[in-house]
Amino acid sequence: MEAGGIPTVVIGVHAFRDRLAAMRLPRTVITPHPMGRTLGAPKDDETQKQVILAALDLLETAQKPGKIIDLPGRYRL
Amino acid sequence: MSDDNQHQETFEDFKNSFNYGSRSDLNFKFLKNLSGEDASHFFQELLWKIGDSFNDGDFTRVVDHVNETQAKAYAGVGRFTYDDSPFTPLRAPLSQLRLGLMTSSGHFVAGDDPKPFGVENMSQQEAETRIDDFLKVEPQLSVIPMDTSIEKLRVRHGGYDVRASMADPNVNFPISRLAELQAEGRIGELASDAYSFVGAASQLRLLNHTGPEWVRMFQEKKIDALLLVPV
Repeated sequence: MEAGGIPTVVIGVHAFRDRLAAMRLPRTVITPHPMGRTLGAPKDDETQKQVILAALDLLETAQKPGKIIDLPGRYRL
Repeated sequence: MSDDNQHQETFEDFKNSFNYGSRSDLNFKFLKNLSGEDASHFFQELLWKIGDSFNDGDFTRVVDHVNETQAKAYAGVGRFTYDDSPFTPLRAPLSQLRLGLMTSSGHFVAGDDPKPFGVENMSQQEAETRIDDFLKVEPQLSVIPMDTSIEKLRVRHGGYDVRASMADPNVNFPISRLAELQAEGRIGELASDAYSFVGAASQLRLLNHTGPEWVRMFQEKKIDALLLVPV
């Protein structure tokens, strides 16, 4: 994507942090959530939104590839 | 000569059976990655914590325990490691740009089923059973208009428990949240379509063939930036 001129940001769960980091992705946000619920629990609109906002901020602020943001907190229902 | 009738299930067999075995449960397929000792410790702690939760009604410790153990079980790098990556800076604030969404969550619109292997209305259970078939073929991209109501979204994916994604697609296909952020002005414009595919697919074909085709399509659609959610 990036080689094709399209900036990207990846949101992944902490279980896959090592794998994602090894890929040296352009921009990565890691959430503390379980697999399959990357942005947060079902109907937890607020957490889902905060995760996306963190990803959008990273899209705008990253100046070089490889930046990883680890979001704090725990999976909450 | 071994006699199957006399085969006693070992603890190793038991813990591995959650990984596409007789007790397949995609939330707990990570048990196969744990040593016998670590898996035994996981169950012991789990039951102890459930005992605590019986008393105070707070099951967050159980959720945390499973979540933390899952993360430990998947720790370590995978097949794909790179030293560097191409990088394109954003050319303007997102409030002036068009954002796209692509996920490997396996969502599609009702009535537009990707019909894997030509099967009509494949069940989630069949997708799990056929995981090895999925892993051999290129992923099929589902095109999902960004204004699709979430009631019309369906999901099927043999690699993870889709029940959360059925209850609320926004857990890994966040079109409602993106629409809100666009309405608030944080995002200038959303691409007319979002995209989803089943990430459990041939990774080499995805990398060498499917991926580059998708990039050309995104360029044609003048997508300025892309939010990616791998599952």
